[in-house]
Amino acid sequence: MTSVSVGPAVMKTPHLGEISWDAESELFLPSGLPGFENERHMIPVEIPAHRPLVFLQSTERSGVCFVSLPVMTICPDFKLQLTEDERESLMLRETGNPEIGADVLCLVLLFPSGGTVEANLDAPVVINLHNSRCLQALSPGAARGYYRLSEAGTWENVC
Amino acid sequence: MLVVRRRAGEAIIIAGDVEVEIIEITRTRVKLGITAPREVTVTRREAVAVALENHTAAALVASGTLETDLLGLFAKVSGKIAKSAPKAADM
Repeated sequence: MTSVSVGPAVMKTPHLGEISWDAESELFLPSGLPGFENERHMIPVEIPAHRPLVFLQSTERSGVCFVSLPVMTICPDFKLQLTEDERESLMLRETGNPEIGADVLCLVLLFPSGGTVEANLDAPVVINLHNSRCLQALSPGAARGYYRLSEAGTWENVC
Repeated sequence: MLVVRRRAGEAIIIAGDVEVEIIEITRTRVKLGITAPREVTVTRREAVAVALENHTAAALVASGTLETDLLGLFAKVSGKIAKSAPKAADM
């Protein structure tokens, strides 16, 4: 049998320029993200100068890109809550909540708000580190609320 | 609001071609199975507001707002985060 080596995928994006990635770095979102249900494949991109920002770039539409932050840079005592359906979709094996950093990565999307940005900590993007499956968790019981980046460079809980 | 009582295994039909079946009832939850044409979007209520936020979030990069207004602010934040930052793996 002949083995075929597949090189990295390449895409020209309007925001991050030309990016290339290996298949194993690609995230699989079985249901996309709310409002972007057809974006099933994304890659997380870190730019050293902009750390700790993480860009979530769609590999299907070059124009779709989100800016995110690791949730614990905003709220260090954040506790992840997942529903049974979310655990199933991420294919998490263990019962109980997964450990951030060991089992899952947890990012929050930033959206513009009056000259600064806000983040909804009740809708974290969760990535299973063991299989790269990803979803936006929407646990109805969670109540961390919204955090806004102040002019002083600190995060303030706004509701 | 129309209120209909149903048991597990029973269903209701909406607009002729959307079927909502009660698959399982537990003490605190109901599991629903929804069969609908592909063009019908089925969304959990809590996802509707998040969908709007996500569209706004996608505009943060697309509009160029990030480069023009916010990267300086993030640089300021990074300085603060660096002192107490979790490891990259703690994302």
